[in-house]
Amino acid sequence: MNGSSDQPDHQLGFFRYSSRALIICMPIVALVIAARQVYLSNYHGLAVWKGGGMGMFASMDGQANRFAQLFITQSDGTRQPLTHLLRVQKDAIDNALNYPVRRNFLAVAKSIATIEWASSPERMPVVLIDSKGEPAGRASESYHMMAPFRPRSRDEKWKGNIQIEFWKMSYNPLTRTCHATLAQTFAFTPDEVQQ
Amino acid sequence: MSMAEPSQGNWARRFTLEALIKSTQQLELVQFVSLLTLFLAVTFPFDHWLFIITARVCLFLFLIFPIIIRKPAFWAALALSATVVTILEWATTDNHKYLLLYWLWVVVFCHAAVDPDQKRRVLVFNARFFLCFVFLAAVAQKLSSPSYRSGEMFEYFLYCDPRFTAFGKLVGIDPKVADAVQKILDFFKSPFSQVINNELLLPGTDRARIVALALTFWDISLQSLIGVLFLWRRTFTDKIAHLLLLFFVFTTYLPAPVFGFGWILAIWGLILAKDRFPKISAAYFISFPAILLYQLPWREWVLGMNS
Repeated sequence: MNGSSDQPDHQLGFFRYSSRALIICMPIVALVIAARQVYLSNYHGLAVWKGGGMGMFASMDGQANRFAQLFITQSDGTRQPLTHLLRVQKDAIDNALNYPVRRNFLAVAKSIATIEWASSPERMPVVLIDSKGEPAGRASESYHMMAPFRPRSRDEKWKGNIQIEFWKMSYNPLTRTCHATLAQTFAFTPDEVQQ
Repeated sequence: MSMAEPSQGNWARRFTLEALIKSTQQLELVQFVSLLTLFLAVTFPFDHWLFIITARVCLFLFLIFPIIIRKPAFWAALALSATVVTILEWATTDNHKYLLLYWLWVVVFCHAAVDPDQKRRVLVFNARFFLCFVFLAAVAQKLSSPSYRSGEMFEYFLYCDPRFTAFGKLVGIDPKVADAVQKILDFFKSPFSQVINNELLLPGTDRARIVALALTFWDISLQSLIGVLFLWRRTFTDKIAHLLLLFFVFTTYLPAPVFGFGWILAIWGLILAKDRFPKISAAYFISFPAILLYQLPWREWVLGMNS
């Protein structure tokens, strides 16, 4: 029985004009979504493992080689790293690392701005590390450790910018060296994160 | 002894390979694929409450009214919830979960057809399409990726992906190497360390490099062969493709914990093999419990063994 006969050979009126549509519908959808995934992974950083392509185990570039560093920056230019994150913030970061567009990092920044952050009283030195992973002195900067303290009340305005550095690691099997590259820095103003 | 109580000899005969082959041949394809797909949706679901609840409710309804598994609306409920979940979390949804989504819609369309031949055609065409698509698209993405072609990806995962640590130990890569690499890479991630020139030497091994290159060669050749052979649509090439697909399913999903993906590949293989290759369809039948057994905590056992 085909689509031109009097009796439909299926129960979905949507496909009444072509029984072949029942067969080829999902292959077409799969091809379109895979093409979109390839485009987004090539031009917008979407991890090849996600989004409907077939790139599982196709590239090192994914969550395994991406990481983010988060800072609260003050008007005088100083910045403090956020070292302890809540589960919801970690999930938002994972999401942003898979698809590293500004919108997703803004979601991370908004999540950070819902919390009051407490800083450690003492500054922690930044240690210089040589290529073998051994300490090689102290860097010029030092930071306070910042940890979530309590949820911020709605009346209280968020102060300070939020800066998120998006990093990627690459591995050279010939020299067995791993190189980290700052791929992009996202900065968000208090107004943005409170919207 | 009554007919309902067969002797021990009869039981033994029942569980021979021939009996298994005969049993798989007697199964009605659409019904069997529907059951396997429902099991897949319940056991390896999307990680979202909406889909998990829908799948469990569907399982409950099936247990009470088994006939419901033949209704398009039953499958549409599952497919719609999968669609909503995928749209909500499209960028974090793993690629193989999209295959579950597509397959649920294929089962909807299969049950929407009234004619039994049409139902079979929906399943058979889509099973072959998705097998070719999955493997050939994967090959294309892998060959276009420099970090895959160089073997860099598998080597990096042998060091950094905890899922590979036990496998690495089995092939002679000391888990201490992976621990050391992880510790070194943490220097990049900590704001309290500044790596000079942003470059670190990893304490890798030659063996890891060789294993990575072997994995790369094994993976790309197997996948390209399966995809190409299924395209041919000849009895001989299909037979070889099925054997390779079975080899892929039985070997890949032991180290790679993406059991839902293995399950769906086995469903597609079974659909194409069932009426043409009785022994191969019996092997697919065996692959389902094998995939379930692969979830044993063998990694912990391997890592706990003294080397």
